[in-house]
Amino acid sequence: MRKTLILVGLLAACSLAALGQGYDTMPADAHVIPIGVEGTVYEDMELGVRGGTLHIPNIEDPKAWNNHTAKETSTTWFTYRMHRGLMNLDHISGAVVPDFAKSYEISEDGLVITFHLREGINWSDGTPITADDVLFTFNDVITNEDVDCNARPGMILPDGTFPICEKVDDYTVTFTLSTIYRPILNQMTFSLMPKHKLAQYVHKLNPDVPAGTFNETWTLDMDLSELVGNGPWIVTDYQVNVSVTMERNPYYYGYDPAGTQLPYYDKIVSHIVANQDVSMLKFRNGEVDVYAMRPEDIPILLPEGPSKGFQVMVTDLAQYGTTWICPNLDIGLADGTDEEKRELYRNVEFREAIAHLLDKDTMVQNVLNGLGTAQWTGVSVPSPFYAGRDEYGGPTTENDAVWFEYDPALAASKLDALGVVDQDGDGWRDLPSGAPLTIEINANDNTIRIAYCLIIQDDLRAVGLNANFQVVDFNTLVNRLLGATGDIIQLGLTGGDEPNSGKNVYTSCGNLHAYRYSACEDPDEVDLRIDELMDLGANTFDLDEAFDYYKEYQILLAHQLGYIYLCQPTFLYTYYDYVGNAFMASPTSTPGGNNGLLTELCFDKRL
Amino acid sequence: MKRNGLRALGLMSCAIVFVSLIGFAVDLYDIAANEEVPEISKAAGLNLVDDYISAYTAEELADLAANGATPGIRLAADRALFKLNDGLLALVVLDQDTLYAMAAAGDQDAAEAWVFNARASYKRPEVVEEAIATCQVETIEIALGELLGGSYGPGSPIGQKPKDELLRLVVGDSLGLRIAAATALTTYWIQEGRLAIPQVENAIRANSGVNPELALAHQGLLAYLYGEE
Repeated sequence: MRKTLILVGLLAACSLAALGQGYDTMPADAHVIPIGVEGTVYEDMELGVRGGTLHIPNIEDPKAWNNHTAKETSTTWFTYRMHRGLMNLDHISGAVVPDFAKSYEISEDGLVITFHLREGINWSDGTPITADDVLFTFNDVITNEDVDCNARPGMILPDGTFPICEKVDDYTVTFTLSTIYRPILNQMTFSLMPKHKLAQYVHKLNPDVPAGTFNETWTLDMDLSELVGNGPWIVTDYQVNVSVTMERNPYYYGYDPAGTQLPYYDKIVSHIVANQDVSMLKFRNGEVDVYAMRPEDIPILLPEGPSKGFQVMVTDLAQYGTTWICPNLDIGLADGTDEEKRELYRNVEFREAIAHLLDKDTMVQNVLNGLGTAQWTGVSVPSPFYAGRDEYGGPTTENDAVWFEYDPALAASKLDALGVVDQDGDGWRDLPSGAPLTIEINANDNTIRIAYCLIIQDDLRAVGLNANFQVVDFNTLVNRLLGATGDIIQLGLTGGDEPNSGKNVYTSCGNLHAYRYSACEDPDEVDLRIDELMDLGANTFDLDEAFDYYKEYQILLAHQLGYIYLCQPTFLYTYYDYVGNAFMASPTSTPGGNNGLLTELCFDKRL
Repeated sequence: MKRNGLRALGLMSCAIVFVSLIGFAVDLYDIAANEEVPEISKAAGLNLVDDYISAYTAEELADLAANGATPGIRLAADRALFKLNDGLLALVVLDQDTLYAMAAAGDQDAAEAWVFNARASYKRPEVVEEAIATCQVETIEIALGELLGGSYGPGSPIGQKPKDELLRLVVGDSLGLRIAAATALTTYWIQEGRLAIPQVENAIRANSGVNPELALAHQGLLAYLYGEE
C-alpha cells in the first residue's frame, strides 16, 4: 500500500516536471482573446477564474496521440487540444485568424505569405518554440512522403505543387506559392509539432530509424510525460475505456484581457462511455458538465433543466452541411432519350415551379420535429462566407437570401405557362408535346430522406405532376447521381467554412456537378460566372472581397436551381449553469466539441 | 482496521449531515419525517437524497425505502438507493422485454428505462399521446406522460401547450396526460419564479388526495424551492 502511494507520488511529480513551471509574467507576445470586450464577437462573454475540472463525455477511446497521423476524431479530439497552428478558427466567428502566428502579411503579388511567430513562447515542457518547429512540421512531417499524414492533401495547390516553407529568422517563416490561393490560409491551421521531441523519429532527419517510424510515434502505450504541445492542454493520464485527463499547459500563450492565462479550467476529464445514451444519463446525473444532445433527448432534459440547473439550447442555427434535391438536367443525354423532358428540366422556370412546391416548413416540423431550418444556398449557414450575412463573419441577416416560397398556386401557374398541362384528361400534367410526364424521385433508405421525399412527392402530385418516390440502395443512388442516370435525386453534402472546398460540386467541370455534367463541355453564362467567382474568391486574400465574390456566387447558384436546397437540422446543446461561457456554444465550437476552441474560454462559475 | 475506517467515515458523515442541517432555512428532515401531507413530505425527501447516501448504508437505505415512517423518508431512501446503484445507467442496458416485464410488475424505474430506450420512436408528441391512449401498463403510462411533459412544457420546439390547457389536462381523465401536464406545469412554475413556499404548500394541501397530479406538479415546484433555500 505504502509502495503504491510512493509510486503514485513519483508519477505525479514526473507529470508536473514534464509540464514545466509556466511563465513568470504574461509574455509580450501572448495571444489576448478579447473576452468581454465591447464591439467584438466576444463581448457577451465573461472573464473567468482559473481552477476546477471540466467533465466531458466521449464515446470512443483515442487511437494514438500523434495529431498528424490521426485518422479519426476520437484521436484529434485530444490532439487538437494539445496543438495549435499558425492560424486557427476564431473561437466564436469561425473566421480564420492568426494564432501561433501573431500576424501575417502577403506579398503584393499574392505569392508569398510571411508569418511572424510569437516570441518567448514555449512548448509545454519549457523548450522555446521557433521557426525551426514550423519548418520541421511542414517540411519533415506534413509534406514528407514517409509520413502517413492527413494534412498533406490539403496543402496541394491547384497546380499540384506544395507551398515552399522557408525560415527567415527564428521567428519568421515564409510560404511561397506557385499561384495565388487564399484557402491555403485555412490549411495553415496545421498543428505545430515539437522538433526537439520528434525529429529523432523522422527517417529523413535520422537515418538510424527505419522509414515510417514517425507513423508509429506517440502511440497509446507511450510514456505520457513525453507528450509535448503548444495548445491549451496536455494529456497526462489515460485509463483505457474509462477516461483521459488533460491538464493545463503552463506555457500556453492564450490570455484574457485581465491578464489571466488560459485555459481557465485546470483539467479536462474526458469520460469514455459506451454510447450517447450513457452520455446523456451521465449528464442528467451531473457526472459530466456538457452534452451534445439529440432531438430525442429534448423532452427528457427540458423539464429537468430548471430544477437541476442546466440549460437546454434549442437554437435555430443550422448545422454544417447541405440537403437538396437534384433534378438531372442531362437526363437521357447519354442515350439520346428524354429529349423533351431534358429540355423542360433545363428550363429554369420549370425548376422554379419545383422550388415553389418544396414545403420546407412542413419538412422542418414533421421530419426534423421543429429542429431544422430551411436552406437556400450551397454554403453552410455557419460559414463566415454564408451569403445570408451582410459581411464576412457577420451575424446572419438573410438580407440577400433567395427564397422560393412554398406556393403551389404559383407553381401551377408556372407549369401552365410552360405548357405543362394535362392534355389527355388522365389527371396528370403532360409535356408540352402531349407526351406523358413522369418524375421519379430517389433517395436511399434513410428515414429523414424518405420523409422529405414523401412530402415532395405529395406536393408535386397535388399540382398534377406524376411524381413517384422510390427508395434505392445508397450505392445505386450515388451511381445514378455520378453517372447522370437518375431523374430527381435527394441527398446531402457535408460542408465547411470555405466555399472553395465546394469547387468540385459547383464549378462546371466539377466531378460532383451532378445536376449538369455536360456544363463542362457546354457551360452557359451562369456556369461560367460561377466558375469565375469560385476562382476570384480563392484568389484574393482580402476576406471582404472574397465574401463579395462568394455572395454573388451563392445568389447565382440559388437562382440557377441546380441543386435545390431543403432543410438542415439545427444546433442543439446542453450545459450546466455553472459552466461559464458555455452559452456561446454554436456549430463553430462547443465546450465538448471536436475542435476544442470554446473549451479554453469556459470556466467554473462555482469557484 | 476496515471497520474502524467505516466508523470514522460514519462519524464524518454524521458531521456532514449536521453541518448541512444547520444550513437549511427550512428543516427538511423535520418536514420529511413529520409532515402529514405526502407531497410536501416527498418534496422535502427529494432534497435529502445526497444526505441519505452519505448517512446510510445500502442495507439501511433498503430498509428505510420499504419501512420508513413517512412518504418523504421512503422516497429519499428509495432515490438514494437508486442513485447508489447507478440509477438508470444500470437499467437501460437491460433488454426492452425484460424492462417491460419489470415495469408491468410495478417497477417505475424499469418503466422509465423502457421509455428512455424507446424514446427515439416517440419524438413527436402526438405519437406519445397515441401510445398513452393505448397503454396497458400503468408505470409505462406514467413514464410516457413524463416524456410527453417535456414536449408540453416551456421551450419545447413542438407540442408546447399554454398553461390554461395544462391546468385542464392535469385534472383530466387520462393518467398519462395528467402526468404530462403536471411535468410541464412544474417547469413553467419554476421558470416563472412567482410562487413562494407557503403558497405552494397551501396549493398542495388543497389538492392532495383530490387532484393528485395537480398536487404532484406543485410537489415538483416545492422540491425545487426547498432546494433553493
